Amino acid sequence: MNTGKPSIKTALRFDSIVKEFFGVRVLKEVSFEIGEGKTLGLVGENGAGKSTLMNILGGNLQPEEGSLWFGGQPFSPRSPADAEVAGIAFVHQELNLFGNLSIAENLFVNCFPTTGGLINRSRMFNDTSAALKQVGLNLSPDTPVDRLSAGEQQMVEIAKALARDARLIILDEPTTSLTDIEAGRLFKVLRDLQQQGITLIYISHALEEVANLSDDILVLRDGEVVGNGPKSSFSQSKMISLMVGRDIDHLFPPRSHTPTRKPALRVEKLGRKGVVKDIDFTLHEGEVLGISGLIGSGRTELARILFGLDPVDSGNITLAETSILKLSPAARIQKGMAFLTENRRDEGLCAEASIADNMTLVAAPRFKRGPLALVNRESISLEVTRYREAVRLTKSAQNTQQVKTLSGGNQQKVVLAKWILNQPKLIILDEPTRGIDVGAKYEIYSLINQLTQEGAAVLVISSELEELIGICDRILTMRQGEITGQFNQGEFDREKILAAAIH
Amino acid sequence: MGLDTAKLRKRILGEHLPLLLCLLYFAALAPFAEGFATSYNLVNVFSAMLPLLVLATGQTLVMITAGIDLSATAVIAMASVVGAMIISGDVGWLAGNPLAVPIGIVAMLLVGAVVGAINGTLVAWFRMPPFIVTLTSLMFFSGLAIWSTQSKAISALPHSFLILGGNDWVTLAIVATVVGGIHILLTRSLYGRWIFAVGHNPKTALVSGVPVQKVLVGAYIAAGLIAAVAAILITSRMESGSPVHWQRNLLDVIGATVIGGTSLYGGKGKVLWTVYGALFLTLIDNSLNLLNLSHFTIMMVKGLVILAAAMLDVLRNRENG
Amino acid sequence: MNKKLGLRCLNNAPLLLFATVFLLLGLASDRFLDWQNLLNIGVQSSSTAIVAIGMTFVLLTAGVDLSVGGVMFVAVAVAGKMIYSGQPLWLSFLAALVVGIIAGVINAFFVTRMKIAAFVVTLAMLFFARGFGLWFTQTRAMNMPDKVTAIGTSSVLGIPIPLLVLAVVCIAAHLTLSRTPFGRQIYAVGNNSDHARKAGISVTRNLFIVYVICGACAALAGLLALTQTGAVSPSFGENKEFSAIAAAVLGGTSLFGGRGKILPGTLFGAVLIQTVENGLVILNANPYLYPIITSLIIFFAILLDSIRSRALESFHRRPIRPTDFQTNP
Repeated sequence: MNTGKPSIKTALRFDSIVKEFFGVRVLKEVSFEIGEGKTLGLVGENGAGKSTLMNILGGNLQPEEGSLWFGGQPFSPRSPADAEVAGIAFVHQELNLFGNLSIAENLFVNCFPTTGGLINRSRMFNDTSAALKQVGLNLSPDTPVDRLSAGEQQMVEIAKALARDARLIILDEPTTSLTDIEAGRLFKVLRDLQQQGITLIYISHALEEVANLSDDILVLRDGEVVGNGPKSSFSQSKMISLMVGRDIDHLFPPRSHTPTRKPALRVEKLGRKGVVKDIDFTLHEGEVLGISGLIGSGRTELARILFGLDPVDSGNITLAETSILKLSPAARIQKGMAFLTENRRDEGLCAEASIADNMTLVAAPRFKRGPLALVNRESISLEVTRYREAVRLTKSAQNTQQVKTLSGGNQQKVVLAKWILNQPKLIILDEPTRGIDVGAKYEIYSLINQLTQEGAAVLVISSELEELIGICDRILTMRQGEITGQFNQGEFDREKILAAAIH
Repeated sequence: MGLDTAKLRKRILGEHLPLLLCLLYFAALAPFAEGFATSYNLVNVFSAMLPLLVLATGQTLVMITAGIDLSATAVIAMASVVGAMIISGDVGWLAGNPLAVPIGIVAMLLVGAVVGAINGTLVAWFRMPPFIVTLTSLMFFSGLAIWSTQSKAISALPHSFLILGGNDWVTLAIVATVVGGIHILLTRSLYGRWIFAVGHNPKTALVSGVPVQKVLVGAYIAAGLIAAVAAILITSRMESGSPVHWQRNLLDVIGATVIGGTSLYGGKGKVLWTVYGALFLTLIDNSLNLLNLSHFTIMMVKGLVILAAAMLDVLRNRENG
Repeated sequence: MNKKLGLRCLNNAPLLLFATVFLLLGLASDRFLDWQNLLNIGVQSSSTAIVAIGMTFVLLTAGVDLSVGGVMFVAVAVAGKMIYSGQPLWLSFLAALVVGIIAGVINAFFVTRMKIAAFVVTLAMLFFARGFGLWFTQTRAMNMPDKVTAIGTSSVLGIPIPLLVLAVVCIAAHLTLSRTPFGRQIYAVGNNSDHARKAGISVTRNLFIVYVICGACAALAGLLALTQTGAVSPSFGENKEFSAIAAAVLGGTSLFGGRGKILPGTLFGAVLIQTVENGLVILNANPYLYPIITSLIIFFAILLDSIRSRALESFHRRPIRPTDFQTNP
């Protein structure tokens, strides 16, 4: 398990860690260790348990079983502050910086050095300068953080960890929003840190980076360690097959329908500066088209542009042979578009409103009568009854019940019902099964099947490749705002698709 | 049976709590305040409640969108002055003209619509915080009303105008139309659904095809129009157009709405609740007056009651969340 | 590049406004640029500036305090009553400050513990305080003895006392905001209170102190105004919340929190507002015009603030395709 050199002390050890959420085991006796000053590359698909694992280390979550050892001592952090005191620092994908404060102030925001009540600026600046030097940032400590580029901000987060004498730094997808040059700079800094004997955990989907930086690799799948050892024993293809290898035959309903050749949506040369470029594809009636890509690859932004929520610089979007480029979301909905967003709580539901009100929000204009736009309550409630059965919403839920009282799966069914009630011709589904259980997932897949049978075209965006392979007729891959590959059913190869999305 | 009483209790506490408070307050004060529980006084209470009720109904509409309209009293001042300038028998531009009163009324409504449109546009399109937008228009338009009259009242309003607020039955008919209309708008119409959706979650509403910005502007215009209706009633009742009518009663308007149970955080509110809230505040006002307490004490008590209501709102939301 | 230039213009818009106002008033009246008149503007500004300084603390956390006018009134009403009943000046003034602090604590309690929207809490406090003050004074104006106004008109080393007080408060507030851990954490809270919590800052404690500071500043500003006007009238401090917010926002403080400075920002905003009022007096403008003009100034200030916030937001959004913005070396 270790690198084989007995002289190296163990920095961190996970011993049979078990974590459950509502009775579901998300971590199943996870055990591994990292040597002092070593770098561990942690890989796994979304939902494999990586963030749960790191949240336990960071004191945000407590395990049900098992123990944690840090620096030779048993370690059970109850809060993020405990982890910080122990010398563990996180560099999250979402940076936790204050744009209106200077670099130095961000480094010391909860532990300013003071003399006589006033901040000791010279000490703060000296310490900051030292930390900035370590990360190779040639900037004044006085520079406001919002003047920095994304890459520089990332470095400031690392400098923050160093200024607090962190012995273990966890980096979660640090390169997603960096340019190649910035990423190169980051790797150089990380190598310097390795020289200085700081232990690193590097989490990333970019397997090449992981392989280059790490001493050891840990592969997680479904909350279990499926591979652990020195990086020399892991080729990239081995990592990928360990990450995705699962029997998925009975997780998806059989496709009962083949797509027509009639185009439903045509996207030509679509571009927006800094977001997407040269997007070209056609989606046919009765077809399920998947988009695979990492978070931050531009897939959600593309969906928002297609639905008219974000502006576009160039190109054209044609729905049913007419350009919809200039139409508002409301007008696109009238033309038969639907958009299930990735963020159910913020953009999908009115959590405080009732099931019936949520379900009828999109289609309500179709039920208005007369100059006062009074809504026909009888016919609308008939529709509610019909569609809550169509999406198999739990029988125990009352129509007047607040949506926020439902489980995630049922909430998602309400959002789906809201769109289907309007009888759409083109449905964009962004992460339609995020955070919901297997049974509800199956029902949502069946529903997608059924919609295509009725002639609708479906565009599915998902981080779960298996899901796309299981339900799509065709898959596009996206990276850095561009389409990087196209795969038809029959030539779905997980490793090839993953490779196209990552490189 | 246990379930039924629980349900009933929930219904009373959730729906009709302010009414219950009104009744309790009435019962508690009746023995102490002389003349409180007389039919004469009760008619007084209902009559005094009507303008407040109209104003609070407009406020309810805006508050459901998670906004607030602090400019309501400025609309009253401005509309009152403009209306009186047109119809007054002494100084009115149309003094003696048979069409003076209808034109005056239209002009007053127009004032409300314009102020509302300005508020709504700034909130919806410039995304400025509603309280600061409407606070600024409160200051501007009441300043404008005071300046344009040099803080003097305009009297000698035509008799046909004085009926509107002077005759309780006419007033009641106007108030019932407005309040009932808003009630139907909120509960039965498409716009009502949209207003609630915008208040619940504007992002979800936008994605679901609700014209969020138009709905917001519409709500503020409606609130302005409703405030103008109140201005008509108040100007008529006071028999003069004045820039200081209701100047000190802004908190009553917010208070009546919040006490009724309409949430400051949007998405929750009912016209019926606001009726209760207006009744409650008017009862307090009336009883404290009968107890010979000063205007200032009443102001303080109301400040406290409103704070308590806001607290109740927060607690209720916390319990549900 | 163009975007950056636009942002700089937005950031300095108040300065341009100030220069314009000064120029126009200077041209309109030769008395305006008189040294004595300029000194007058300074003295008259002191009270508004101090309220605005307290307001700046609150606005920096993305809150607001609408009660300052009412608090000013109650504070001086208490002080005035005590002076009337023969209490020593220092004790009466101290009592006024305590009143301000108490009002601040009450606001802070409801905002931080009960989590009620700041503008509702402070609006209720505004009405409550005004009502309390009116009851307390029985709506009668109290004229102060000469020893009170003497403070307002005398000077130390040639500098009028109100200006001296203002200078002390300004420097103290500026140091607090720019040089103490508390001050810098306020900026962090205003920038993003969630992030602040995650970074280990006690958000509740910071918010609490901010409202207390604002209450204390309001009371102090009330006392300064008292030494200048020499009377506690029922309308004392009315509409002060407007000028305080306006001064802060004109000085570059954002209503959305996290952005703003005392020096020169808020001080400069207060002086600008006083300058306008002073100019209107010198030009013999109708006094009923003042609130109209002030509200127009506030309106432009908050409009600028809102446009600036949105410009900043889009300026700092992280791109998916950073290569689109890279210039070739």
